[in-house]
Amino acid sequence: MEQVKTTRFGDVDISEHRPISFPLGLPGFPDQKRFVLMEHKPGSPFMWLQSADSPNLAFVVMDPFLIQSNYLQDLPPRDREMVLGKTDTPPLVLTIVNIPHGAPREMTVNLLGPLVIDAEARTGKQVILAGSAYQTRHPVLPE
Amino acid sequence: MLVLTRKINESITIGNDITVQVLGVRGGQVRLGIKAPKETPVNRTEVYESIQRENREAARTPRDLDLLNDMMTTSPRNEPE
Repeated sequence: MEQVKTTRFGDVDISEHRPISFPLGLPGFPDQKRFVLMEHKPGSPFMWLQSADSPNLAFVVMDPFLIQSNYLQDLPPRDREMVLGKTDTPPLVLTIVNIPHGAPREMTVNLLGPLVIDAEARTGKQVILAGSAYQTRHPVLPE
Repeated sequence: MLVLTRKINESITIGNDITVQVLGVRGGQVRLGIKAPKETPVNRTEVYESIQRENREAARTPRDLDLLNDMMTTSPRNEPE
């Protein structure tokens, strides 16, 4: 039984957490092509996108619609197609959370570069919504 | 870096399925037309680099998120599920 070694979560069983393939990796991490998505805790808005190949690499991710309920509405056509593709099933969209050391209240989410995941095909990519007004550092908590 | 000189409307081909055409030059600006397969992301470099930077930053996440959970559940912006 294949397991993914992780620094934060010990050994993760792949039959339970089916890996998601990112054929292009992520900007800044071009060689990271397999991740597992894991709950943080029941009821938590946070999830972890854990690299299947680098035990130490994990991103905190969350549902961007919790931050902005009208997220991804009114996108220019090219951006819209990058997110929705041509399929009928709407993809799973997640945003990477950036939590500054020592100042967690100042955490931000990257709304400019959402993760778009096809949960059925187990594939994902990070798209850049270059035609939108979204930012890489959108505050999560009110000032 | 490979350096090529092109005139307006001329193009270059990268690999088997990417072409970059010079559409126009005005002042200090060059307009490019890019044809690439859909799965090949094409971005202005500075925008791509901002995502790279952000990802690298985000990868330095603290291990313990429990503190954050408390914040999120007391935050007025977070609607209960």
